[in-house]
Amino acid sequence: MSMSKTEALVKNNVQSVDLLKGKSLWIDAWNRLKKDKIAVSCLFIVIFYALIALLSAVGVIAADWGAEVGPSYAPPSADYIFGTDIFGRDVFSKVIHGSQVAMSVGLISSLIAIPIGVTLGALAGYFGGWVDEVIVWFYTTFSSIPQIMLLMSIALILGKGINTVYIALGLTSWVGLCRLIRGEVMKHKNREYVQAAGAIGAGHGRKLFKHIIPNVSHIVIIFTSLQFQIAIKSEVILSYLGLGVSGQPSWGTMIDDAKLELARGVWWQLAGATLAMFIVVLAFNILGDALRDALDPKLKGKG
Amino acid sequence: MSLISFKDLTVDFHTPEGMVRAVNKISFDINEGQTVGLVGESGSGKSVTSLAAMRLIPNPPGIISGGEILFQGKDLTKVSEDEMRKIRGNEISMIFQEPMTALNPVFRVGDQIAEVLMLHRGMSRKEAWEKAEMLLDQVGIPSPKTSIMKYPHEMSGGQKQRVCIAIAIACEPKLLICDEPTTALDVTIQKQVLDLMFDLQDKYNMGMLFITHDLSVIADIADEVVVMYRSNLVEDNTTEKIFTHATHPYTKGLLSCRPSLDKNPSRLLTVADFMDEDGNELKVDEAKLVPDDKKEKKEETPVLLEVNGLSTHFPIKGGLFGRTVDHFKAVKEVSFKLQKGKTLGLVGESGCGKTTLGRTILRLIEPAGGQVIYDGIDITKLDKDQMRDMRSRMQIIFQDPYSSLNPRMTVGEILLEPMNLHNIGVNKEEKVEKAKWLMEKVGLTAAQLSRYPHEFSGGQRQRICIARALAVNPEFIICDESVSALDVSVQAQVLNLLLDLQEEFGLTYIFISHDLSVVNFISDEVAVMRAGKIVEMDRASTVYHSPKMVYTKTLLEAIPKGIPKSLLEKQNQ
Repeated sequence: MSMSKTEALVKNNVQSVDLLKGKSLWIDAWNRLKKDKIAVSCLFIVIFYALIALLSAVGVIAADWGAEVGPSYAPPSADYIFGTDIFGRDVFSKVIHGSQVAMSVGLISSLIAIPIGVTLGALAGYFGGWVDEVIVWFYTTFSSIPQIMLLMSIALILGKGINTVYIALGLTSWVGLCRLIRGEVMKHKNREYVQAAGAIGAGHGRKLFKHIIPNVSHIVIIFTSLQFQIAIKSEVILSYLGLGVSGQPSWGTMIDDAKLELARGVWWQLAGATLAMFIVVLAFNILGDALRDALDPKLKGKG
Repeated sequence: MSLISFKDLTVDFHTPEGMVRAVNKISFDINEGQTVGLVGESGSGKSVTSLAAMRLIPNPPGIISGGEILFQGKDLTKVSEDEMRKIRGNEISMIFQEPMTALNPVFRVGDQIAEVLMLHRGMSRKEAWEKAEMLLDQVGIPSPKTSIMKYPHEMSGGQKQRVCIAIAIACEPKLLICDEPTTALDVTIQKQVLDLMFDLQDKYNMGMLFITHDLSVIADIADEVVVMYRSNLVEDNTTEKIFTHATHPYTKGLLSCRPSLDKNPSRLLTVADFMDEDGNELKVDEAKLVPDDKKEKKEETPVLLEVNGLSTHFPIKGGLFGRTVDHFKAVKEVSFKLQKGKTLGLVGESGCGKTTLGRTILRLIEPAGGQVIYDGIDITKLDKDQMRDMRSRMQIIFQDPYSSLNPRMTVGEILLEPMNLHNIGVNKEEKVEKAKWLMEKVGLTAAQLSRYPHEFSGGQRQRICIARALAVNPEFIICDESVSALDVSVQAQVLNLLLDLQEEFGLTYIFISHDLSVVNFISDEVAVMRAGKIVEMDRASTVYHSPKMVYTKTLLEAIPKGIPKSLLEKQNQ
């Protein structure tokens, strides 16, 4: 015991100057995440989808999704692995192109929801008092309206289209994040490190943005990964209800088309879109859980 | 035959960083009716040892990888889980450190005591409640008939610990394991609880394993002391022998690092004075042993801080719209003066308002009335910007070194922040230079600047907190229970550091603590607080040797003497 200890000490001293690079909590969390094989595979799946979406967005792949490549309703075969649709378009290309819609919906709705949720949650949690009461009143009222109703009414007001989907999903999903952030900020504002910042002369802004927000930011990451899958599912529902994307294929519109096709025994459009969606939603779900474990906010090194 | 004997017990923990040996081949016995004190610093493996006896080590990651624990001839490492359940709480029971969290808040006290009796003794609910009432009476809870119906939050900390004791002794166990049962309690309560445990042990003839990091606590009650250091057992002897003829340098260090009331050395000896990093004994520097009277000879200096009739009130909200219905008066018209370069010790039991007073002086909490005159300026009248400038002159060091550093910032960032806020240093290089200098001043290395707080131990973190406070070149620092969360050996190091810094920079301190021996060691003057008021204030030596108030006397008498009774008697003869 004491031998190995001594060796370690000597080693430490020799390399101490350049080796003493700190390990931040982020790196720590990443190291923990890395050990979870399933989570890492899910991360790769997500990155893979994002890449496909990006490539199709710039037109490198699946640019010819609109072209007629074969007969109408050709079943899956070596030529068309997911078969063709009523216009003889390749379903596989449509699925790939659909990933672009799915990923962008997840990303943009998160980008809308995060600033609203974080700002309101942080203000409510930090200042408390009437600020808190107004914000809490606002989001409880907001969340008392069934989300699907709200989604539909926003979509109806703004009209059909992908932009509507972004905005509708963004505006309806910030409440959960806001609640979480509010609770965490309330917990952290009484921690001694925040009081210590006050004692060295830091004002409200500095305490909130420099000290508290970085300590609750892991919530945003977890939220984003879960928001992605909710957004993807919601886009499908909206499109299925005819309020979503038009003019380009999305998994939702494909499933919507499939409701008539199924009666004729054409199952491959439904299968293709569902499979693609299933995999990415599952990946995001597992990744979200793993992130929550890895970023466990309880302070390390206690005891 | 001994009641329980640990034979070459080894416990390993599998962590992501590799296997950690928490307990390394330790052996010792406890006989019937005997009290064994298990002493060591946090992380030495003492709690793991006790959990092993209860087979409560979380697995994974922990595993008993060797040795045996013979309890009445039965090897506890081998018995089935069913059998173990019959032993826990029945033949071996345990008392934990934190009475606040050891009781279930949604059940009545009576239910919690009755639960063990119904479980292990097969009593009916009615019988169990009757027995519970008797037990409450035995552990000294007033009016047990009504107390039995109470919920934990309706009781004080000391009473809760008594309830925990009642639960532990309900089935008249043969072995009672106490894991730091008095660390979270005030001195007066600590004394009562220790006395109670001693009586009960006598009555039931229990074997007792008493775990603590503070040798002075068990001096009175233990028959034998086992000292653990870095997972190994380093010394095992009768209490008297340990206190008079300690052989291992670590034990010697532990014995001398605790400030005592009768000796007043200029610096405390620490474990590091007795032993180097690898456990080799060092020759103790004799010069450090000589008590000095430097403190008594300190000259009169101009007054730096004057507090006049300072009060702090907290609103009590109630009613339909959360209106303020009343005020809780935490600090009531406190007045005192503090001279430059001196230390005022502020002592009192928890809830007496000492922490609130400290924060009000710094205006971290706004006062309800009164003045705080710092260097001729009444800071209660300053506006926000003036107050911000003032903050560079007055600093605070908090109690909990774990929560007082921002976990997302490197130590470098933590030290640079106050300098940036107060424009200290012309450019980044100069600030970094100063941060490096500060690190060395508090006994850390400049290379550690790029590390994060969670990579440091508790004592090191408290050093970082001290460095942060020093970064703005303050003249005045409030230390709010700054050493209370630390192990005694680390405590001594931090206290020495505070004194060194005071000497070097002429700092003025207010030292807030519930630990009277620590306050006595560090302070020039002492103020005793009770219920928001200062009840006695004088030179430290006067307060400690001829206290005027009865309350002060009670506090002083409650301090553990730190020497076994038998020795004390011999000394008196």
